[in-house]
Amino acid sequence: MATQLKSVPLGAEYEHGFHDPENYVFQSGKGLTREIVANISELKNEPGWMRDFRLKALDIFLSKPMPWWGDTQRLAEIDFDNIQYFVRASDRAEKNWDDVPEDIKKTFDKLGIPEAERKFLSGVSAQYESEVVYHSIRKDLEELGVIFCDMDTAVREYPEIVKKYFSTVIPPGDNKFAALNSAVWSGGSFAYVPAGVEVKTPLQAYFRINSENMGQFERTLLIAEPGAKFHYTEGCTAPKFSSSSLHSAVVELIAQEGSTIRYTTIQNWYKNIFNLVTKRAVAYKNATVEWVDGNLGSRLTMKYPAIYLMGEGARGTVLSMAVGGEDQHQDAGAKVIHAAPNTTSVITNKSLSAHGGKTTYRGLVEIMPGAVGARTHVKCDAIIMDEDSSSDTKPTMKVHEQRSTVEHEASVSKISEEQLFYAMSRGLSEGDARALIVNGFFDFFVKELPMEYAVELNRLIKMEMEGSVG
Amino acid sequence: MADTPVAKTTDIAPGRTLRVVVDGTEVLLCNVDGTLYAIEDVCTHDGAPLDQGELEACRIVCPRHGAEFDVRTGEVLKLPAVMPLPTYSVRIEGDDVYVDL
Repeated sequence: MATQLKSVPLGAEYEHGFHDPENYVFQSGKGLTREIVANISELKNEPGWMRDFRLKALDIFLSKPMPWWGDTQRLAEIDFDNIQYFVRASDRAEKNWDDVPEDIKKTFDKLGIPEAERKFLSGVSAQYESEVVYHSIRKDLEELGVIFCDMDTAVREYPEIVKKYFSTVIPPGDNKFAALNSAVWSGGSFAYVPAGVEVKTPLQAYFRINSENMGQFERTLLIAEPGAKFHYTEGCTAPKFSSSSLHSAVVELIAQEGSTIRYTTIQNWYKNIFNLVTKRAVAYKNATVEWVDGNLGSRLTMKYPAIYLMGEGARGTVLSMAVGGEDQHQDAGAKVIHAAPNTTSVITNKSLSAHGGKTTYRGLVEIMPGAVGARTHVKCDAIIMDEDSSSDTKPTMKVHEQRSTVEHEASVSKISEEQLFYAMSRGLSEGDARALIVNGFFDFFVKELPMEYAVELNRLIKMEMEGSVG
Repeated sequence: MADTPVAKTTDIAPGRTLRVVVDGTEVLLCNVDGTLYAIEDVCTHDGAPLDQGELEACRIVCPRHGAEFDVRTGEVLKLPAVMPLPTYSVRIEGDDVYVDL
């Protein structure tokens, strides 16, 4: 590289690093035992089947080894005995914004939620620590039979729907962190859209970790009945803390025949957070599932949104982007299983590593026997900004059906000198030219986002880029 | 038709399973309320043996990733498996159990 790039510590001016004084109604204490799990269930007034499910999941968690693949060195830093598994910040979920406690409200004000809601959002449920403290849904959606609430409320108020679908896509045995989530989950979103109903504005939730050494284990379940269509968005920003926090969510999407679910998420965790998430969708006949997934921050992110195409004509799209900054590893990718004829999928993943950061694309496409006419296109591009940064691409293709089409393309590059020269010849400084090129690189992703997310993401990328020309 | 018994009916109590090898194929015999069913003892998702998994009524749970199958039909009941399990017919003569591949 012609220019030696300077690394700027992000924490010094990290604008989402604000921190409210901790003032909780209940904290579970550190470590994980059967008593704590039973206690969580009891505090939430859960039915017996959920308590049994949690305890069984705990046994699975304790019996499963840590993953032997991925960034095992960083994974080994997680001290499960030093994590607080449940914190309740407010006694009950509030529906009226005026009733939400003042310091919690301040946090959300800093995140801009009320404004967003006033403008155009159809529903807001913001998770602060483990439980959802605020939630609302527009009346007209309620009349159409749309259910959008936090997961704890769903277990209490819609037990038949929850019991029918909960954990059918991701069983606790799937992996160690799914088992952990199943044992101690708290909060998360639940959406159910009845047959034929189209929700035109996005359903929105926001997650934020505030307490030091706090695990956040939200559980999200979204169901689209035949012909239904909706878009769910969530974002995460976390304040800065000195010791490691664990975030381990489970997200299940069920798209019935002819339905469409789009799930948009931007995660911007502070750089000491472990973000180990299991996201999986199942799409039946002619259904469409789209994951739009942005990963910034965290110490280690391991996240591979998956789509199981189970019915003929089902479609899946995964658009993802990752920025690995100083001391960060973004191990992200996508997984699509074609288990029926004429299913199609597109995976587009772009990543940028800077200031010594690392990005990994880890993906799997599998075409099952009998998935005649299946088509997939996988594209992964990476930009490496400096000599200290690195990027790996690990795409896996398993094709068991010859009458299918599988395409894959990948590129790893630095910012092209030619592009830089061209932009600078038009009067831009080197820094502006680099930022412009990076913005263009991520444009495929940003243009798919709702407006306020697009603005936030552009700002975050710019923050990562600032000072990158020394 | 297999002519060698692979187990005795008394070897497998209701709700229990028994792994046997029939002509080189790993087969799991499952006793569902007194009726014996035979499935291949290899999870179609990741190749894990199912004999260490739990049998709950007619459902067997793969111990490796939690996939579930109906042992009567081989049908997938829960992801991450998507392909059904091969099933085999079971014959009982006296207290001898035969599996026809």
